[in-house]
Amino acid sequence: MTATKEQVFEKVSATLADSLNVEPEEIKLESTLQGDLGAESIDFLDIVFRLERGFGIKIPRDELFPESIFQGDPEFVKDGLVTTAGIEELRQRLPFADIDSFAQDPQYKRLGDLFTVAMITNYVQSKLAK
Amino acid sequence: MRLKDKVAIVTGGGRGIGRAVCLAFAAEGAKVLVVYRGSKDAAEAVVADITAQGGMAEAEQVDVADPAAAAACVARIAEKWGRVDILVNNAGIIKDGLFIQMDPANWDAVLKTNLGGTFNFCRPCAELMFRQRGGRIINISSVAADRVNRGQANYVASKGAINALTKAMAVELASRGVLINAIAPGFIETDMSEAVRNVAGDTIKKLIPVRRFGKPEDIAKVAVFLASDDSSYVTGQVLTVDGGLSLGAMSA
Repeated sequence: MTATKEQVFEKVSATLADSLNVEPEEIKLESTLQGDLGAESIDFLDIVFRLERGFGIKIPRDELFPESIFQGDPEFVKDGLVTTAGIEELRQRLPFADIDSFAQDPQYKRLGDLFTVAMITNYVQSKLAK
Repeated sequence: MRLKDKVAIVTGGGRGIGRAVCLAFAAEGAKVLVVYRGSKDAAEAVVADITAQGGMAEAEQVDVADPAAAAACVARIAEKWGRVDILVNNAGIIKDGLFIQMDPANWDAVLKTNLGGTFNFCRPCAELMFRQRGGRIINISSVAADRVNRGQANYVASKGAINALTKAMAVELASRGVLINAIAPGFIETDMSEAVRNVAGDTIKKLIPVRRFGKPEDIAKVAVFLASDDSSYVTGQVLTVDGGLSLGAMSA
């Protein structure tokens, strides 16, 4: 039986609540991991470990939370804005993130906002469907 | 018993400080893996001592400078005993010589064993401890990291780096209950310090306010503290255990 999005979200929320030490009620689909839930770099690693164990999936390094997506490449970031090529790169690297919304105001400093609970939920759901 | 049923790995566990740490941990109820490189008989004697007291221990031959061997050792014991709660990076060597004449091979050997060995065991253990949300890593450093001696540039550099590594690891892992500290022993009565003690023992003793060399047990007691719940709010520290040597008091 495939898990519904609600079921996956519920379990992702519980995982995040446990990992980030926040109340489950604070966690919404649109919550950003860093801005809203206070995640730091080491927390991303913990979240990956916990999702792997909780859902029985394998999350290859750099697949869910890629490190340094643009690597300072001027083709992707110019004057603090993510370029069209950068947006395309994001679509490749973060297929479960809401790139369309980001593209409307593509400030580089907003990049962290792509990592939302919805992104994780969509990712996990696709993994479970495989 | 302060370490009841904890699983501990102690590198360089056959002799000197490592041996005392193994025995002290076992006396507090820990299961101990005694890691040795060359001292097979000594390591097996430590295991026999622990077993005779009703404790649980085994010995394994590993060159700590070999990352794959270290990872395999940690994986094996985690599989066998279910977890790893405590790691003591104690394996260390000296290859002294004046800096200008220092053979690059001696520089490499000391860095690879002392610092590399610490990294090689820390990495797999830290991941296990991070996943299990708790653990203790104790790196055996030396007062020589700060109060340096002539002829030990390689050793001193390795110990200074271990102190920095201890702090760097501590800030990354503390949020998941993994606490990492170092102990900086002064002059301890071990095989490693024997040559120096024989040559300059009386002079050095005058520089030690407690007026005696340390015993391996003096270090082991501090290691038990750092491995136990008693140190639950201590991380990223280098605890100097040297009878006051590093205070630098002149004799008068």
